[in-house]
Amino acid sequence: MSGFGYAVDTFAAWLAGGEPGWLAVSVAVLAVWVLPLMLLVFPVAALGQILERKIAAAIQRRVGPNSAGLDGPLRFGFRLMLFFLPRERQDRVFKAFCNFPPVRSILLVSRRLGLGQLAADGIKMLGKEDIVPAGADGMVFRLAPYLALAGAFLPFCVVPFGQHLVMLETEVSALFAVAVSGIVVVALKMAGWGSGSKWSLLGGMRAVAQLVSYEIPIGLAVGGAVLWSGSMDLHAIVGQQYEPGVFSLLGWNALQTPFLAVLMVVFFVAGLAECQRSPFDMAEAESELVSGFNTEYSGLRWGLFAMAEYTEMLLVGALLATLFLGGYQSPIGEEWICSLAPWLEVPIHVALLGAKVVAVYLLMMWIRWTLPRYRVDQVMRLAWLVLVPLCLVSLFGIALTLLAAGGTEPGEPFGRVAARPRAALGWLGHLVGWAIPVAVGAWLVVMAKKKHGQVHPALQRLTGGRS
Amino acid sequence: MTLDASTPNGERMTLNMGPHHPATHGVLRIVVESDGEVVATCTPDHGYLHRSIEKIGECVEWPMFVPYTDRVDYVCAMNANLAYCVAAEKLLQTDPAATFTVPRRAECIRVLVAELNRISSHLVAVGAMAMDVGAYTPFLHGIAQREGVNDIFEKLCGQRLTYNYVTIGGVAFDLYDGAIDDIRRFLDQFEREMVRFNKLVTTNTIFRDRCAGVATVSAKEAVAWGLVGPNLRGSGVDFDVRRDEPYCVYGELGVQVPVGQAFAGRKGQVGDAYDRYVVRLLEIQESIRLCREVLKLLPPSAEKPNDPIGGIQADVGKLLKKPGKGEIHVRTEAPRGEMGYFLVSDGTKSLFRVRCRTGSFTAAGIFHHVMRGIFLADVVAVIGSFDVVVPEIDR
Amino acid sequence: MKALAFDAIATAVQARFPAVLVQKADNGQMALRVPKASIVDVAHFLRTDAQLAFDGLSDLTAFDTLKYPSTPPQDDICVVYVLFSYTHRHKVLLKVHAERAACDVPTVSGEWPAALYFEREVWDLFGVRFVGHPSLRRIMTPDDWEGHPLRKDYLYPATYNGVAHLRDGQHFEAAPPRSGGPL
Repeated sequence: MSGFGYAVDTFAAWLAGGEPGWLAVSVAVLAVWVLPLMLLVFPVAALGQILERKIAAAIQRRVGPNSAGLDGPLRFGFRLMLFFLPRERQDRVFKAFCNFPPVRSILLVSRRLGLGQLAADGIKMLGKEDIVPAGADGMVFRLAPYLALAGAFLPFCVVPFGQHLVMLETEVSALFAVAVSGIVVVALKMAGWGSGSKWSLLGGMRAVAQLVSYEIPIGLAVGGAVLWSGSMDLHAIVGQQYEPGVFSLLGWNALQTPFLAVLMVVFFVAGLAECQRSPFDMAEAESELVSGFNTEYSGLRWGLFAMAEYTEMLLVGALLATLFLGGYQSPIGEEWICSLAPWLEVPIHVALLGAKVVAVYLLMMWIRWTLPRYRVDQVMRLAWLVLVPLCLVSLFGIALTLLAAGGTEPGEPFGRVAARPRAALGWLGHLVGWAIPVAVGAWLVVMAKKKHGQVHPALQRLTGGRS
Repeated sequence: MTLDASTPNGERMTLNMGPHHPATHGVLRIVVESDGEVVATCTPDHGYLHRSIEKIGECVEWPMFVPYTDRVDYVCAMNANLAYCVAAEKLLQTDPAATFTVPRRAECIRVLVAELNRISSHLVAVGAMAMDVGAYTPFLHGIAQREGVNDIFEKLCGQRLTYNYVTIGGVAFDLYDGAIDDIRRFLDQFEREMVRFNKLVTTNTIFRDRCAGVATVSAKEAVAWGLVGPNLRGSGVDFDVRRDEPYCVYGELGVQVPVGQAFAGRKGQVGDAYDRYVVRLLEIQESIRLCREVLKLLPPSAEKPNDPIGGIQADVGKLLKKPGKGEIHVRTEAPRGEMGYFLVSDGTKSLFRVRCRTGSFTAAGIFHHVMRGIFLADVVAVIGSFDVVVPEIDR
Repeated sequence: MKALAFDAIATAVQARFPAVLVQKADNGQMALRVPKASIVDVAHFLRTDAQLAFDGLSDLTAFDTLKYPSTPPQDDICVVYVLFSYTHRHKVLLKVHAERAACDVPTVSGEWPAALYFEREVWDLFGVRFVGHPSLRRIMTPDDWEGHPLRKDYLYPATYNGVAHLRDGQHFEAAPPRSGGPL
């Protein structure tokens, strides 16, 4: 049992003063699971918007948000704290505090980073008029943003953040994550339909078509990891990727066979599509559909959609790390980290998972600000004619590898038992397992390039090559 | 690629795109009837930016119309100035009393600024098209480069958008000190920058696939529908007013004319959106070359402003007070294609009729023809690929 | 590719259509004056004849000859077609004069689809009704605008949808110019 499960039980028992009823359990669940998780995920997702703006600015050679610092919130805090003083006094104290050199430099840095933009945007969003269009289906319209956020947030319950840090431990947590994130589809459809606007409707339709299509590669990619690990429990999957010794990353799923590496790429691409991120942002393509399914939303409701998008990005990063990149484990010296005291080990593991998530996050932003958008038919073609066959081939390859290795045996979630295929394959088996698929893949790429890769001489001239 | 938009039960959705839509480049309104994602019919609606510039032209004196030509197409105001001034000069020169010639230095400066403005105009065109297709970054990179041109123009004539620089008989000001260095420096860095731009977006597979085979206009269609400029050349018609009916000093520069050749490769066709886009990029390259060439031809500045070689302004003041009667049709090559001026003079200080034929007008005219059976997402890409500038349509 | 001079084009057209006249403007700009009724035939001939091959309609516009200082004074709308041959690279101007009262000219949009838009503009601004045009609607001005602004006898409507268009109580054209210029 994970630490959280134990904490919930204890807390519920304490609340009820005996055998806990449903109310006590609900309160305990909220207090122990949901609240901390929200406090962890949502601020990060909100920070992501600032990060995205800064990154977009850097890619586009702009400055980005650089004026709103933390002075404003700070001043507000001073006003609250020193409510008993007259205003000039408050200001004088605040000024003196701000001129204190370390504070001053922190404020300057925060201004350069545009951190205050977070507060400013939040207040702006709260202050905006909450518009429900006349033609909208009010109930559906109002409900959609919350559902979207719920769908993006719920799968975090099964993501292991550390050795004993998983909110909801089930045998089928991988399936749970994929299934629950399907709520977003409903939410987007509701937003598109409920808005009573044609742009929203089109955006909603596109979103549903896209999300439903991309659930399949995602499911198959998750299936690959599940097949390899022999378990549907995300925690067990992470545990199975444990490798003693210095180079712990050798145990990660992505490095086991090239098929799992391919599945990781597929998962990432499909994940981009699930988050409605460019180049798959056709559901809210601002140059085509004004803003797609959230055209008619304003203020806080729109903010919830934005938050859902960023939360979902975090989710894709977390699942990708969990399934293929060793979860919360360190790339080197995991054995040593595990031997540390819990108060040290837990933060390190959470931070490591966070680092992996942020890496995926940054990659998504980089892609968004670089690539154009796919068209509807191309999005579908990519899903059904590229990703799904790729997944099937990879699944077949994984099955073959497992057959050669003599099946798999799930490692124990917390027992740190390395799963069997690795041991059974041996270094020669691994080498062959990598060499054959890589060679075939490279040959296919070369052939495809030879056949379709010619670039018109004029284009070569444009890109600085010889004409 | 053409899709079938015939629905079994005849249900179609009318989408009102614009006048305030992020991708319609101003206030263009397009009423799209679509079957889901597929466009069945499309009806452009114009006139939101009609400022009756032709009517104004009949009310103001000849030189007073030049600032209005800026507003005909504010993305390439220099070329718009030039088009009107060249036409007005040709009309003045048909008068036997006229003996002026535009000084050679002025002609060279005109070509210089026209080509620089062509660069900046095409940058907006290709950047905006990339943005319509969903890539936001190239647009801003293009705008950043356009600032370089605007800086030069600001030093030259004090304006960044509507220049009012080319006048009837020459140009308003001589090049400032160090202008040539500025221009050379800009061209050098810009050339490098364009390579990066092209690597970023032009050869991008997604971008190419989005534009390949979309809204193909055959050469025959392009000619019949009156497409001009890069849109015409994108369809493979080898015609450029600068080369075939040279004005200013274009005749001595040997203008190379790029035409569409199915640049997108396997999936592309001659005359698709990608060809139009690439032709613009090739024209940018050609403009860089022309700028460098014309700097070589530029004669040194003379003391007298109306010196026939080193001056900048022919003496046309007297002629403009009492021009001869008559009419003329002259066309020049603006970035959006030929800008034809049909001028009628009745011998008074103001023109009797000013007709300005612009490239975007006919480009908008073909919309309803090419936008049948394409995806809704491509509508914006097609608008971008034709590079319509709404003030030029509505005037 | 063989570019023809104006004379050769005129001869070729006149051999087929004797009613077509050569019209010389005051400054020597040459044009072919085509009778209203035969413009479509002439256009078809010009477009399809192998020697002429005017495949492009470079411009289609008009001007109002009222108030143009000529002897005898004219009073009609002159529709101008600028044809260009991309095959042979020659250009010719056609002119069709339409009376102010019965201002209708057959459409040439069957020959050059580019005329679809040009004719809409000429209809909007000059009130030339192009017979046979599939969708002759206003293009620049609003659909409920009155009059055709580029006609020389045009007066701005005093009001449009409740917005006054008068300057100093007078029609725009009749008002005395303010200091600084005619406008």
